[in-house]
Amino acid sequence: MRNFFQLIRRYNFLLVFLLLQGLSFFLLSRNNGYQRASIVGASNQVTGEMYVAYSNVTDYLTLGETNRLLSEENARLRKNDSLAFYSSLADSTHVNDTLAVQQYDYISARVINNSVKNVNNYLTLDKGSLNGVQPEMAVIGSNGVVGIVKDVSEHFCTVISLLHRSTKISSKVASSEYFGSTIWDGSSPEYAHLFDIPSHAKVSLGDSIVTSTYSGIFPRGILIGTVSGLGESGESFKEIEVRLSTNFRTLSYVYIVRNLFKAERDSLEAKTAELPE
Amino acid sequence: MILRILQNLFRFLILVFIQVFILNQIVLPGDLNAYINPNIYVLFLLMLPIQINRLLLLFICFLCGLSIDIFMSTAGLHASACLFIGLVRPGLINLVISRESNDNNIELSMSGMGIQSFLIYASVLIVVHHFALMLLEAFNFLHFLNLLLRVVTASLSTIILITLSQLLIIRNR
Repeated sequence: MRNFFQLIRRYNFLLVFLLLQGLSFFLLSRNNGYQRASIVGASNQVTGEMYVAYSNVTDYLTLGETNRLLSEENARLRKNDSLAFYSSLADSTHVNDTLAVQQYDYISARVINNSVKNVNNYLTLDKGSLNGVQPEMAVIGSNGVVGIVKDVSEHFCTVISLLHRSTKISSKVASSEYFGSTIWDGSSPEYAHLFDIPSHAKVSLGDSIVTSTYSGIFPRGILIGTVSGLGESGESFKEIEVRLSTNFRTLSYVYIVRNLFKAERDSLEAKTAELPE
Repeated sequence: MILRILQNLFRFLILVFIQVFILNQIVLPGDLNAYINPNIYVLFLLMLPIQINRLLLLFICFLCGLSIDIFMSTAGLHASACLFIGLVRPGLINLVISRESNDNNIELSMSGMGIQSFLIYASVLIVVHHFALMLLEAFNFLHFLNLLLRVVTASLSTIILITLSQLLIIRNR
């Protein structure tokens, strides 16, 4: 026993190093899942407030660009508004539409912290559980897909950016029905890759890549990017380079998408998975 | 003693502020950001007093890295990389500071150590830190050559920034 204590005393430096290193790895591995270690989660509130103060100052710098994007989006939405369509029926009656039930609800949020330079990037938004944000909600910008909500505190939420190695977005080529997954390789924040598209699928440069309905997180048909390069990976699959439509460097306002049917779909799919073969 | 603690605490706050709200917010064109990615906050660890207890040093390294992690949502990544600084630093100081200056009160800065010694001391620790940081971040050996290149360029940018800040401090005296 005495020898044991002597050993500890002699190598205490190395032991403390290994202990702390182990703690770091523990935090690191916890961080990769959807739940974050509670110390870091709790301090989100503190760092969140600081990022809001910072973003209040720097938002002025991107005001011009933000205005342009918002007005473009307004124009696009106005185009789809029923007021924009000329009615050829003179005496049309108003029908209270019970066939179309609202499935998606959008929460507007401001980006208060954002990074593009790491291998795994995160955003922080100024909406939290008080605004109805929950983990695993989709986040889209005015130009397309941004990421998926990870952690939520009362007033803030962190988002796993599309520019994150564990992000895998179920996507399809807009002109055909072939689907695959969009994955970011960690280098340029302007490009990602689309995998699992069979090599016999007809894909040409400039085709739009949009979200598919398989994920259950993103609404169908949200733009991810356009095809900017084609290659073969293995024998039977194409590897497609996608130029992302969202400019992650200048992101300042985004929408959090709440899928009102998600709970219903998840419980149904869980029930099916439970059944014995 | 208290003055020294306050001095270091102040340095820590300033450097974390610069790191989080200035350097981490700079966006460069293309994928340049992956290559030029200075981590100036390690200067705080480099400049901790020479006679500091080695165990205390490890804990300070861990906490310093963790505070950066909290801001960057990378729990444990910087903490782990900073711990390597704490591991290497005591031995490196014995190597770099020559026998003739047995002064135990030497300041670990460019003015205290001389330009050459400081550059060697800082470069070794910064390269160790960046190497650990980027290897842990990538967590594989897939693009190892590219990773090495990134370690070199990021370390260079950090060393240049730290040298500049040291020169400014000397100028002020």
